[in-house]
Amino acid sequence: MSEAVFEVRNLVKQFDGHAAVNNVSTQIERGEVVFVVGPSGSGKSTFLRCLNLLETPTSGSIVFKHQNVTAHEISLNKFRQQVGMVFQHFNLFNNLTVHDNITLAPVITRRMSKAEASQKADNLLMRIGLYDKRDAYPSQLSGGQKQRIAIIRAMAMNPDVILFDEPTSALDPEMVGEVLALMKELAESGMTMVVVTHEIGFASEVADRVLFMDHGKIIMDGTPEEVIKNPANVRVKEFFSKVL
Amino acid sequence: MIKRFIGLMLLALTVVCGGCGKDSGAPKLVMATNAAFPPYEYKEHGRIDGIDPAIVGLIAQRLGYELEIRDMEFGAVITAVQTGKADIAASGITITEERKKQVLFTNSYVSAAQMILVRKDSGITGEADFPGKSIGVQEGTTGDTYVNKHFKDKVRINRYKDPSSAVQALITNKIDLVVIDAEPAQVFVSKNPEIRQLPKPLTHEEYAFAINKNNPELLGKFNAELMKMKTSGELDDIIEHYRKINDERAGEPDFARGFWTRLEDSLYVNFVKDGRYKYLLNGFIVTLEITVLAVLMGIVIGLAVAVVRCTADQTGHLKWLDWLCRVYLTVIRGTPVVVQLLIIYFVIFSSINISQVLVAVIAFGINSGAYVAEIIRGGIMSVDRGQMEAGQSLGLTYTQTMRFVVLPQAFKNVLPALGNEFIVLLKETSVAGYIALQDLTKAGDIIRSQTYDAFLPLIAVALIYLTVVMCLSWLLGRLEKRLKKNE
Repeated sequence: MSEAVFEVRNLVKQFDGHAAVNNVSTQIERGEVVFVVGPSGSGKSTFLRCLNLLETPTSGSIVFKHQNVTAHEISLNKFRQQVGMVFQHFNLFNNLTVHDNITLAPVITRRMSKAEASQKADNLLMRIGLYDKRDAYPSQLSGGQKQRIAIIRAMAMNPDVILFDEPTSALDPEMVGEVLALMKELAESGMTMVVVTHEIGFASEVADRVLFMDHGKIIMDGTPEEVIKNPANVRVKEFFSKVL
Repeated sequence: MIKRFIGLMLLALTVVCGGCGKDSGAPKLVMATNAAFPPYEYKEHGRIDGIDPAIVGLIAQRLGYELEIRDMEFGAVITAVQTGKADIAASGITITEERKKQVLFTNSYVSAAQMILVRKDSGITGEADFPGKSIGVQEGTTGDTYVNKHFKDKVRINRYKDPSSAVQALITNKIDLVVIDAEPAQVFVSKNPEIRQLPKPLTHEEYAFAINKNNPELLGKFNAELMKMKTSGELDDIIEHYRKINDERAGEPDFARGFWTRLEDSLYVNFVKDGRYKYLLNGFIVTLEITVLAVLMGIVIGLAVAVVRCTADQTGHLKWLDWLCRVYLTVIRGTPVVVQLLIIYFVIFSSINISQVLVAVIAFGINSGAYVAEIIRGGIMSVDRGQMEAGQSLGLTYTQTMRFVVLPQAFKNVLPALGNEFIVLLKETSVAGYIALQDLTKAGDIIRSQTYDAFLPLIAVALIYLTVVMCLSWLLGRLEKRLKKNE
């Protein structure tokens, strides 16, 4: 029996009167890997950023593990500690070493002791084969390495779900593979993931479910088979015929 | 007579010395003076001596006070008495109608005259030649007042902080004549072959001590003691003694010798004789002390203001504090630091006896804070928004992300600008002399007032500032390089 990590109801986000996300409702189950695809400016990223409240929704509600996080009483920081995020531009802390990038949040938020966090960071670094970069600074890493570090930085907090905001869009083509491989591994390990991406091929390979967004609305919601391979919707069909 | 005189001098000496240090139980009598006016007051061997300190010291002792002497600009001594910073002003002050409105004067203890100094080749013969000329005076003196009263609009008045600057300006052709008290006039003439003194005095005047209007009791006691000293002859002895010392000092340099010998002599007189280098050393320490403490205070204020303003910008909180910070920035950056310093000393702390170093640290700290705030704010804005978002997405608070991620990067970005601000601050502290602090610049002024030499003391002061600034630049360069590695 599955359990909902996120329940999104009638989510609206407006910027200066323009609705970037327009009345979106959906549910993310535990262990589910959901890909959000669609044309540029369709509101995919805004939707994702609303999920961990980096953008404050204009209206609607988001329920995270049975708790309404759009209500005012909740601790925003406690909530975010359980929701990892990976950014298009990596956003590693430039002033910290790789090791400290990973351990900073677990230690400051007191989710782990210093020693535990350090142990965990080292294990994760070994797992992705970047242990030798432990004491390097972000500026000394390649784009692919940065994004893989960013992913394990999110993992180090033991989150319930990780959000990916176009994680490969800022990478040189030869770096994309290593990042996708790590994401795939993560998906197979049972991590709940919401991924905004233009990597349609990767989506159809890894996704449990694909949401197709256009003009701030989810216009298709189904398996990769349904949404990508044999879309019933004309606009969706047209989009995939261009990108595939 | 001689015996009595020696006894008197010893007494005066202990009194004057007592004023510079130890605490006895006696109540304090604070005397304001401008110790750059020999033989009335001057610095020698690190302490203030002269006719005024000797007389006031003796009377203070007889009245059961412990004397404390504060050295400041001449223009500030009357204000000091008025605002209660000092009990008595003794600085060769001439009795005038204007000053009578502000303070009480004791009976006169000496009569003096204002003389006219001109260059050897000058055609000026007296007051009648004044119109159209440039006249040098010491700011706030009776010479200043007299010239201003009688020749305003007809002459150009150049006001200098001390008489030796005025004389230097005369020698170097910047002005046509100097109006100056008779006694220092003699010294200047004997030391500088380029100038002479006109035989006829410009004015006659009476010197007296100034006391706060609310303290007629002290005035009465002082007048009684002055009267006793006059009748006993003590007063004349003291004045005679210091005039003699003054005449001896006047005989020191010899202008007939070659450049190198003169330079050697100059170096000796300005820096070695009577341990004068100690003024520079102590002044240097005071300057460093003020600068370092003010820098620390500036960083604390600047950081707080910058964070408040950025938080208000980015989150919309702290609106009230933000408004307060804006007012602070506008006022501090819109007014000169000297004015701020004087306001803090004479207005804000007017009735509190507070160490001048502390006042200077507060004034320069508050001033620097405004500039540091804007520098750091720029630094914070220059850090990519994604850094803050990444921190928050991991569940760190705004403050935690600021502290561990954004500020360290902002600091690194603005290090060159911050370094520059500290270099500026170091040099700005040179106006500390306005509140009678003996910083490095003031130390140079003191030496100038004793040796009547402008060149070497000023060059020495400039070289010391330059050296410190170069060291600072070098250190900052190294720090920047080290921080660059961590990227």
